[in-house]
Amino acid sequence: METKAVLNAVPPYGHVITSEKWRNSSLIQGLKGGGVRILFEEQLAVADFQLPNKSCILYVSECDVIAGNGYKRKLVRYRNSSSSSFQELVLLETTRLSEQYFAAVQKFVVLDLGLTLLPVGGQTEASQLIAQMVHGEGRENPFRRRTSSRLLDPLVLALVQHVPGVGRVKALALLEQFSSIQQLCNAAAAELEPIVGQAAAQQIHSFFHKPTAAGT
Amino acid sequence: AQGPSSVGEPPAPVCILVDSRCLSSGVELMTSLRQRHAATVHVCSLDGSYFIVSNRTAVERHSQSDLAAKQNRKRLAERVNSLQGLFERVCLIVEKDRTKPGEASRPFQRTRYYDSTLTALVRTGMRLLWSDGAEQSASLLADLARLEQRKGQGIAVPMEVRGQHRQQALQLYMSLPSVNYIQALSMSHNFRSIGQLINSSIEAIQKGGCMSRSRAEEIYRFLRYSCDSFFLNTSKAGKTS
Repeated sequence: METKAVLNAVPPYGHVITSEKWRNSSLIQGLKGGGVRILFEEQLAVADFQLPNKSCILYVSECDVIAGNGYKRKLVRYRNSSSSSFQELVLLETTRLSEQYFAAVQKFVVLDLGLTLLPVGGQTEASQLIAQMVHGEGRENPFRRRTSSRLLDPLVLALVQHVPGVGRVKALALLEQFSSIQQLCNAAAAELEPIVGQAAAQQIHSFFHKPTAAGT
Repeated sequence: AQGPSSVGEPPAPVCILVDSRCLSSGVELMTSLRQRHAATVHVCSLDGSYFIVSNRTAVERHSQSDLAAKQNRKRLAERVNSLQGLFERVCLIVEKDRTKPGEASRPFQRTRYYDSTLTALVRTGMRLLWSDGAEQSASLLADLARLEQRKGQGIAVPMEVRGQHRQQALQLYMSLPSVNYIQALSMSHNFRSIGQLINSSIEAIQKGGCMSRSRAEEIYRFLRYSCDSFFLNTSKAGKTS
């Protein structure tokens, strides 16, 4: 039960949770230097770090990669153990020695397991990146999609102008009479005639109903 | 128990759509896709320089220095926003910068700014992939396309759009809100006429456009949306003044 509680624990702002084995590492020194506070926790399951923004990190070292397959099992356990509400990141120590394994590890981590991979040159770079994640939490994300509700009217108008022979003036006149695309599509040529003239009425009607299949 | 191994079985060819703007910077990549990965590469005109590897996935390719440069952020944010509006999944291949022949490769200087860009991208759900050059990027694109194919999301619709009317229909489908090129292409092949699409049920739009239920609902509502007379009048007034 206790393990579970720790698994889902989100550290307070400006803190990370990590395990004792990292206590004297240069990564932790770097984090402290970057103003991040450290909480040590013995019960931390597979992840190496837990961050206030509900993400966790597994650190795969150069040694892990070069020494062979043990790290793969660890990655699978990591993927399976973490709570689904956490974003799971993998920091991969990529050095000249481990470079040759990179493509294979990436394929496993990203394509097979669906985890997020971030290469780092070593523990110092890792500490800078983690510090960014911890401190960046409060800032606005420039890549966050703004779900502003778009006005549909201009889009309808633009679509109607894709009908050959229909420019802005005719499109507006048509929409005044038939206010939606569906109504316009289902209008008979005779109904369109008073608005755009006979030739255009025929052309518009046939555009909507002419077969597009079979390349004709 | 392990599943059956597929070693020895030749992988089915995958289809990848490429924006024409990728060509000038991607000759090596394109050659590799076709020759080493036996991919069917189709060049078309998309609304940005990106790749489409499945019915739901788009891939952008940027150099590491591109991501690290402050002046690029606004443009990158616009690209990412627009792609995330059009596709369920968006991947970003981060490629190491090229070094000129004979020049010693300079190690990339990681900055705080670069780290914050990566962090922000990861938080929005972008999938990052790392590449040391065109060759590896090609291999990642092919891997992604193959993975999507295995999940039943591979591009299966014919790439060719023959005839003027079909071309016009494709352009019209592209002007539907949040419809991407591959969905428009699917619609132009799967509906008998534009009128048939316009009068289709949500289920039929979802199936014919190879899209999610929510996107099909959005299109269904859009086709039935009644334009506001105030909007039409002010648009007219704007034209004459």
